[in-house]
Amino acid sequence: MPAILPTRRQFLGTAAAGAAFAADMTALNCLRSPVLAEELKRNDKRLIVLWLAGGASQLETFDPKPGRATGGPFRAIQTCLPGVQICELLPRLAERLKYTAVIRSLDTGNGDHGGASRLMHLGRRDEPSLKYPDLGAMIARELGRADSQVPDYVSFYTATEGRGNAVGQSGFLGARYNAMFLTEGNTPPNLRRLEEVTDLDHQERADLRRLLSERFARGRASGPLASHNEAYSRVRGLMASEKLFDISQEPQEMRVKYGPTLFGEQCLIARRLVEAGTPYVKVSRAWWDSHGQNFETHLELCSELDYVMSALLDDLHDRGLLKHTLVATLSEFGRTPQINASLGRDHFASAWSVTLSGCGIKRGSLYGKSDDDGNTVVEGKVGAAQVFATIFRALGIDHKKDYHVGSRPVPLTDPGTEPIKEVLA
Amino acid sequence: MIPEKFAVIKDLSRQEILLSLARVPNSSRLFAGGSDGKVYEVDPLAENPEWKTHDGHASFVTGLAIAGQTLVSGSYDQSLIWRKLDSGEVIRRTENAHGKWIRKLAATPDGQRVVSIGDDMICRVWNAEDGGLVHKLHGHDEQTPNHFPSMLYACAISADGQRLATADKVGQIVVWDPARGEKIVTLHAPGFYTWDQKERIHSIGGIRSLAFSPDGQTLIAGGIGRIGNIDHLDGPSRVEMFAWEKAEKLHEFSGDAKGLIEHLCYGPDGTWFVGAGGDNGGLIQLYDPAAKKVVRSDKASMHIHAAALSEDGKKFFAAGHGKLAVWELA
Repeated sequence: MPAILPTRRQFLGTAAAGAAFAADMTALNCLRSPVLAEELKRNDKRLIVLWLAGGASQLETFDPKPGRATGGPFRAIQTCLPGVQICELLPRLAERLKYTAVIRSLDTGNGDHGGASRLMHLGRRDEPSLKYPDLGAMIARELGRADSQVPDYVSFYTATEGRGNAVGQSGFLGARYNAMFLTEGNTPPNLRRLEEVTDLDHQERADLRRLLSERFARGRASGPLASHNEAYSRVRGLMASEKLFDISQEPQEMRVKYGPTLFGEQCLIARRLVEAGTPYVKVSRAWWDSHGQNFETHLELCSELDYVMSALLDDLHDRGLLKHTLVATLSEFGRTPQINASLGRDHFASAWSVTLSGCGIKRGSLYGKSDDDGNTVVEGKVGAAQVFATIFRALGIDHKKDYHVGSRPVPLTDPGTEPIKEVLA
Repeated sequence: MIPEKFAVIKDLSRQEILLSLARVPNSSRLFAGGSDGKVYEVDPLAENPEWKTHDGHASFVTGLAIAGQTLVSGSYDQSLIWRKLDSGEVIRRTENAHGKWIRKLAATPDGQRVVSIGDDMICRVWNAEDGGLVHKLHGHDEQTPNHFPSMLYACAISADGQRLATADKVGQIVVWDPARGEKIVTLHAPGFYTWDQKERIHSIGGIRSLAFSPDGQTLIAGGIGRIGNIDHLDGPSRVEMFAWEKAEKLHEFSGDAKGLIEHLCYGPDGTWFVGAGGDNGGLIQLYDPAAKKVVRSDKASMHIHAAALSEDGKKFFAAGHGKLAVWELA
């Protein structure tokens, strides 16, 4: 089921329904207990995913092969890490690899946009009988707070191409963990109070609802009932969160740092959201699928990625947020070393790269290796599950923890998966 | 007379992607710039063509020009290498000739000047004899209207050497006086800018080729039109024709064939011109500027990146993806 942006009224309905669903299907209280919330509040971890939709080229980003027939025209440049080079299209990020672990050895085995995207959103392959939650839903479940005044899972995907592949599903965790999915502009619609309802009326209606609910709940101990009330209690907070999406609240100087593009604006909003307590924000930048004119495409898109991601890392660092916030660049796959007849590169899942920066990461580390032409992984082969386990561990989440769907235990990552310890702090 | 026959007479395979081409006047001796940073020399019409290699660049060789007895090559490595035409001996290197990729070179017919363009959006005019910089021509914006880096893709010099044209990613063409280094007129052809705001939020088009008519009155620009899916070069080949002195667009040629028009050249009498390029495959089209139509559209065995027409208009030499080929026109 694709994630959708619920209206405020739909939110109230689905949250309550989600709580009931969770009680029936997962034996979990969908909205956590206050004790656990306090624990997580102390952890205060966040995740921002920069989803490079369509498949960015590892050769034009983090695993260049200069001088090889597959290398293309770009040079490799020295980074701030001794002996580590990345593509010259990322000069700012080259100076910021001290925050980052580069993983150059993904072999995910799926070169189809749809299947590969699902794999990199779910961390495992689909199962017919079970609808898994995506990374955002699991992070929202693990790091979100019941009393939060902000959304737990926000996902930007403005381009239309590939949007259907950008999985946003809470699966068996229930609708409580669905994404706030923004596809038009930067501000969620339907958060505002209806004009015909005054703020006083709105507050009084909430007070009346609370009074009736508390009277009903008196003498009744019920998880779903508590969840229902907690969901309602978040409404005014979510309504107030609209300002988080308004970058005009930022000083002009800060807006310039992120640049004038939509991706820049959305990354600035991502920072505002994690600063306010949103545990998971995904900013999708489409469309990197460069079957034709790969080098022209990367000249354009890498210039933006370099500028915006550098601004994001600097901003998080300057605010002291980077030690609590993990920034990941993920994609569905990389691109073929072979250059095709229209100077393009095609889909390639056998040896490609992702990065993890900030929270919980051994900064300035490099993991894995592809061969001289970039055709295969020769050291440290990993798949989607290991990347997910690494992300969970970096955020202080036990990746072996079980959810329960009925009586069936379902771990966060597939059994036997281990994180990439070499890149963990 | 528009050729009726257009047939491949030579097709030589290569490992490299051949990105630029220069032909020694009145001969079939060619120089081709490769994706491996090398310049290759060959006469494809020789009985047993032999390839000679000239090393020197560190990236794609995207521009070649012959100025008198000097061969100049330009590369994405931002440098120019000047060689003796007969021996290939390096005369000089101009490092950092541009601040970004060099896209194309051209030479004036008298061999006195060499022109280079690059993604620093500057056109530089060089003295072919001593390699000195004569003019730096600024006329193209460094950023697109959508705040991304622009590219200066195409240049051409008129047959009398009096006019120079440059064209960029967003469809702006500037005509210059290369002797004075002055801008004469700016033309706008926004149909070449393929920015996709909704589906994919980027662009890959731009004006990739330019040519003056033999009388210098008309200027043609080639590239690609509105692209449905910019994952590929999935858009109609596009040529626009201008009476440039009046800044008047005379016609848009948009045929059924898909792909970029990477090279344009007029036949000797100006009654026809050739456009070549392609998408994943190759494309050659013949145009009738008077009738304002594409009169012939053929597939080529490779995406063509650069080409040259013989003085008599009877041989068409093309370099492209892993091949160099020759067509005969009659």
